[in-house]
Amino acid sequence: MDFSAIRLELVAALIALSLLAVGLIAPRGKREMTGYIAAIAFLGLLALAFLAPGHGSSFLGGRFLNDPLALFFKRVFITAAFLVALMSLRFTAGLEESRSEFFALLAFSLVGMMVLSSANDFLSLYIGLELMTIPLVVLTAYDRASGKSTEAGTKYVLLSAISSAVLLFGLSLLFGASGSLAYGDVAAALAKPAFGPASGDPLAVIGGVMALAGFAFKIAAVPFHMWSPDIYEGAPTPVAAFLAVGSKTAGFAALARLLFFVLPSNGGGLSLVVISLSVLSMVVGNLIALPQTNMKRLLAYSSIAHAGYMLLGLVAASRAGLSALLYYIVLYLFANVGIFAAISSFGDGGRSGEIASLRGLWKRSPFMAASLLVCLLSLAGIPPAAGFLGKFYLLAEVARQGKLWLAALALLMSLVSISYYISVIRVIIMEKAEDESRIRVPIAQKAILALSALATVGLGVFPGPLTAWTQAIAAAVLR
Amino acid sequence: MSTGYLPLVIFAAGGMLFALVVLATNWLFRPRHGGREKERTYECGLDTEGQTWIQFKIGYYLYALVFVVFDVETVFLFPWALTFKASGMVSFAEMAIFIAVLAMGIWYAWRKGAFEWN
Amino acid sequence: MLGLNHYLVLAALLFCIGFIGAVAKRNAIAVLMGVELMLNGVNLNLVAFDRFGNHAEPLGQAFAVFIVAVAAAEVAVALAMILTLYRKRGNTNVDDLEGLKW
Repeated sequence: MDFSAIRLELVAALIALSLLAVGLIAPRGKREMTGYIAAIAFLGLLALAFLAPGHGSSFLGGRFLNDPLALFFKRVFITAAFLVALMSLRFTAGLEESRSEFFALLAFSLVGMMVLSSANDFLSLYIGLELMTIPLVVLTAYDRASGKSTEAGTKYVLLSAISSAVLLFGLSLLFGASGSLAYGDVAAALAKPAFGPASGDPLAVIGGVMALAGFAFKIAAVPFHMWSPDIYEGAPTPVAAFLAVGSKTAGFAALARLLFFVLPSNGGGLSLVVISLSVLSMVVGNLIALPQTNMKRLLAYSSIAHAGYMLLGLVAASRAGLSALLYYIVLYLFANVGIFAAISSFGDGGRSGEIASLRGLWKRSPFMAASLLVCLLSLAGIPPAAGFLGKFYLLAEVARQGKLWLAALALLMSLVSISYYISVIRVIIMEKAEDESRIRVPIAQKAILALSALATVGLGVFPGPLTAWTQAIAAAVLR
Repeated sequence: MSTGYLPLVIFAAGGMLFALVVLATNWLFRPRHGGREKERTYECGLDTEGQTWIQFKIGYYLYALVFVVFDVETVFLFPWALTFKASGMVSFAEMAIFIAVLAMGIWYAWRKGAFEWN
Repeated sequence: MLGLNHYLVLAALLFCIGFIGAVAKRNAIAVLMGVELMLNGVNLNLVAFDRFGNHAEPLGQAFAVFIVAVAAAEVAVALAMILTLYRKRGNTNVDDLEGLKW
């Protein structure tokens, strides 16, 4: 067996177990050190991930595939975990107990995401999914002083249990239709009869739709989005950030592999399902985001809308579509992490997250306001921030494939979205704060904000290196 | 194939018949004395106190949760034990890692005081 | 003689009963019980397909065993969560979770 294919996962799992052990052994006064240890360990893991060879290797007879696509997603997840660990230092410092477990759970969830992105078999897919979700549930309910956090955790665990049961039923039907759990064999078996809405095996069609529904829940696509605003609002801010960037991206990693390599969606009924999910998410997410008064809820609805845009990349189902999706995932990561870092810098650690608390931020902390501005502009899709190019790549590919109406709808919805992002920017710049005292931004948050703003502008102005990379990945995995 | 179960059916019927006979004999010959004292709930000879619908100590639930998780993880041990001879040292090492991770979990629960009873 | 279809229909019924229970019940514990029924439907499906299919390895049974183990971990976390909620609010009705706008 080729253990080098899973060395990133092995190291990440070791980090998680060691963090747990350190928390038990370290003397009571020194336990906040685990946060710093976790951040450094994630940074080391990131370096290892960039040193790792980009060519494909597999484990367990191809059930676990470490191809360039999986490696790309792993780098994204580790970056997200590193930034979230930095962002959490302030939150965990305010806790009376169980500081070290927070980071151990973060690491366990990271392992789950990495397994999910490499899964090439229904069994590893399920294990990865649950390994990601169960620690996230505990993290969501971590703020035991706040009733909202417990409530959010309960909702999350119940809804995700229902959704994974639906996903599993779909997978069991696909197993029945194909007689195998491995992606390659399932795809070969499903491709034999003419697979389509009219002539397909009903078992495989129903199974495919149920599996899609399970992942639509993970990426919070309408109509499976109801959980996300409540959970973003109730969860501690760094955890909400990890949910928004990590969990959603992991959902896309698994979904991309399923749609491209397992379920024959081209021209079949399933692509219609993906288009409907995308359209509904864009329309509903953007329209409900308009009246929101809480920043975390606003971000939840905006992230639903962004799931809709990203689904366009899967609708396109081409090299350019996949490349555009990967580019979008990177810019979405930095923009969201930046905004959540800003929310978590407030005095209450971002517990309330009301938009009104951003009043006069331009005077209270110009640095934070400027970084926040860049990230918001990126999400709104206004140049020179990266969001503009990301949307451009996605829409151009969809339009090139003749789905002009879809591109036009996405453009219209993205214009709608500008209005709520601008209204937040107006609150930051134009409105006067009651309390004009300066905000002391913690050093970790400062670093994250600076990195996010720089990356967002950098990707927007010099997209070349990243797009070259994403195009190479798309060319390597899609033949 | 179904005839192979005949001895089992006879055995089950015989077992039930035996139990019924014993109970019936007992019921026929036992003395009958009623009374309040006799019909009260029996709990180790002590008088019962209060209602049954009381809230249990939270410690019970902690025990139950830890038990459920570790009990179910043994499900992997049975198929492993059955194929142990065929699968050899690699699977032994893998199972050792699995048990080590579980042991880590127990150590954690122990240090966190989940097994303290006070 | 029982065929594959009998098992599939039973599994689908179990799944649907569980789904209705999970979606319609007010008590969080009852929701969890519904989820367990759904998972049992899934397991029955997998084992039946495995038994009636023509496989070199018992993949479906292996998957079912993994589902049992992972579901136990999930249920333990869910129960711990519900317990915390109960200590905070004194009941476990999901309808009463209105601190957040559901």
